[in-house]
Amino acid sequence: MNLYKKLCARSMLAVLLLLAVASLAGTGLQSIGLQAGTATAAGSDACPGKPLVMGTSPDYPPYENTDAKNGGDIVGLDIDIAKSIAAKLGCKLEITGMDFNGLIAALQTNRVDFVMSGMSVTDERKQSVDFSDTYYAARNTIVSKKKNAYETLEQLDGKRVGVQLGSTQENAVAGLKDATIKKLNRIPDLIQEIKSNRIDAAIVEDAVALDAIVANPDLAITMLPAENAQEGYAIAFPKGSALTPAFNEALQDMDASGEKQAIVEKWFGKHEAVTAGKHTIDFSTLNGYTSYILRGVFVTLLFTIVSALLGFIWGTVLSLFKLSTVKPLVWFATVYTSVFRGTPLLLQLVLIYYATPQLTGYDIPPLMAAGLAFGLNSAAYLSETIRGGIMAVDRGQREAAMALGIPYRTMMISIIFPQAVKNILPALVNECVALIKESSLVSVIGVTDLLRRASVVQAANYRALEPLLFVGAIYYVLVLILTSLARLLERRLRRSD
Amino acid sequence: MINVENVTKTFGKHEVLRGITTTVERGEVVAVIGPSGSGKSTFLRCLNLLETPTEGRITIDGTVVTDPATNIVRFRQRIGMVFQHFNLFPHMSVIDNIMFAPMKVKGLSREEARAKAAALLERVGLADKADSFPSRLSGGQKQRIAIARSLAMDPEIMLFDEPTSALDPEMVKEVLEVLRGLASSGMTMLIVTHEMKFAREAADTIYFLDDGRLIEQAPPAQFFERPQSERAQRFLERVL
Repeated sequence: MNLYKKLCARSMLAVLLLLAVASLAGTGLQSIGLQAGTATAAGSDACPGKPLVMGTSPDYPPYENTDAKNGGDIVGLDIDIAKSIAAKLGCKLEITGMDFNGLIAALQTNRVDFVMSGMSVTDERKQSVDFSDTYYAARNTIVSKKKNAYETLEQLDGKRVGVQLGSTQENAVAGLKDATIKKLNRIPDLIQEIKSNRIDAAIVEDAVALDAIVANPDLAITMLPAENAQEGYAIAFPKGSALTPAFNEALQDMDASGEKQAIVEKWFGKHEAVTAGKHTIDFSTLNGYTSYILRGVFVTLLFTIVSALLGFIWGTVLSLFKLSTVKPLVWFATVYTSVFRGTPLLLQLVLIYYATPQLTGYDIPPLMAAGLAFGLNSAAYLSETIRGGIMAVDRGQREAAMALGIPYRTMMISIIFPQAVKNILPALVNECVALIKESSLVSVIGVTDLLRRASVVQAANYRALEPLLFVGAIYYVLVLILTSLARLLERRLRRSD
Repeated sequence: MINVENVTKTFGKHEVLRGITTTVERGEVVAVIGPSGSGKSTFLRCLNLLETPTEGRITIDGTVVTDPATNIVRFRQRIGMVFQHFNLFPHMSVIDNIMFAPMKVKGLSREEARAKAAALLERVGLADKADSFPSRLSGGQKQRIAIARSLAMDPEIMLFDEPTSALDPEMVKEVLEVLRGLASSGMTMLIVTHEMKFAREAADTIYFLDDGRLIEQAPPAQFFERPQSERAQRFLERVL
């Protein structure tokens, strides 16, 4: 069984190497995609020796969104205010993008120092986090199709009305009579629902609504009366954070100097950033975004290659376990396969991403978590495929190799395996194709793959169909290229027939 | 050279070998014959431990091969084996089939292995097939390549497990020619075969197996002219 051990050790080494590559690539991508830093001298009282980390959900222009046209940094009103405050405190600023729903949790686990994300002060949130003074008060508007515009909230009684999940607009629709309320995660999704006639109107705050109707000329907005000023946006901190008073002071400074007003004016009325679409489907709305989306091809491919290789190597090891005569190895491989095939991939992905830092203290980068989850899952399926392929190789091959005195490992690698792979090549290609397409699941943990980029663009220009169709075409082309390469390989392997 | 002491082999409840004891001398050519299911192939496969004997001892050149401490992989390199169904490696060309084990196991350089393979191909009369794939060869050609592949490891003993049984009749001769040449070169050989004429002409000794026992062991002239046991007599009546 020495040979087994050696084989396993080598495979483990290969897997570790792969993971290292994945993590390097992961950090590399993050610095391209998600972080914007302002370089100021670090080391003041507010931030001893390390940068201030800000959490935000970059899908809410003009407050914050990914600048898909220029390099993919996170930009917006909130970002400018945060940069100004950080500069006043003498701190470096680091911005981390994540889902709006994850922001409070990120504060509670101290993954971020503060959150600015167009977040309104509510009694519920106050129980979990501290808030600064409000820095901006927005007004609510009704967004609907132009041909049935609404003047007042009362007119929405009995209608289908959308709001963003977890937003203060939920309170605004609470008093509607007989209305069907639909709560969605993102404003761009609400806009799309109006266009698809699934809801009659959405309650959205003014700055966001203005952008949306510029991009979609078939929509109209009605401003609602201003609410009381306490209900504006504020900066959130972990409970008891020492940063709260310092930030409040800085906000007051910015108010007094007129700096905040200047930032507000810079971002509101900056609608030229959004391109108006002329037709129902108008690919010119993608102008300027294509290179951002295309860079997602690299992420998707890298991810697919890493998880396919990991899946293949680990799957091979598992298949050898299953064919071995050592009972514990057989049991391990069998249980492993049963668990990974028996639970949803999405669940495994989210578990690995969230559980790893909690259990090991290692803050696993999203791309690495994704490669790991998909590789481990794929290995479970592939181990069965490979086992079948090995068993399908004629017994006589093994006996001939043994009779020649060829050691087990050499026999497996040079005699049995090439024949097994040839038999299972179509199944392997299927698995790779599935991986390319399933890779779109990784957007849930914030990896900016193709699909994630499509929704970033949707957030920026309020057009859903065009970016989705565009990435759909890219996926299709990728799969086409892969299958043609596989056909070439198969022809080469079949030359001995 | 080969010493077999009371070897038995059972598969589950089925007793295939029921205590075989014999000695094969260096350079001896043994033809193993007997009815189907008599244990001929299993006996042969026990000699290089493709089957592990249930009981008994096999000693080759003083090494107890049935001892678990013996490095069986290294030991097998000294015993060549040719199978009924050739078992060539289908994804390698003819010359690669022959060169593989000498390079990977014996550490020969590519040039040495190629020279050796070329000489062996010449010997089995297939020098022009070096770069063909096995799927392009006839059965007789495949079996001659398989013999060349085994010889490339310079074995001291060659085992042949029904080498002509899977061949069309017109190809049997070319393979037997190679076996004859090998026998006259002084190689120690054990051949399981149904070719009685060949056994009679080429072998030094005939082993007659029936129902897992070595019933008779005699020079061909004696065995074919005056078989001692009733079973051997009946068998010869049927096949001759």
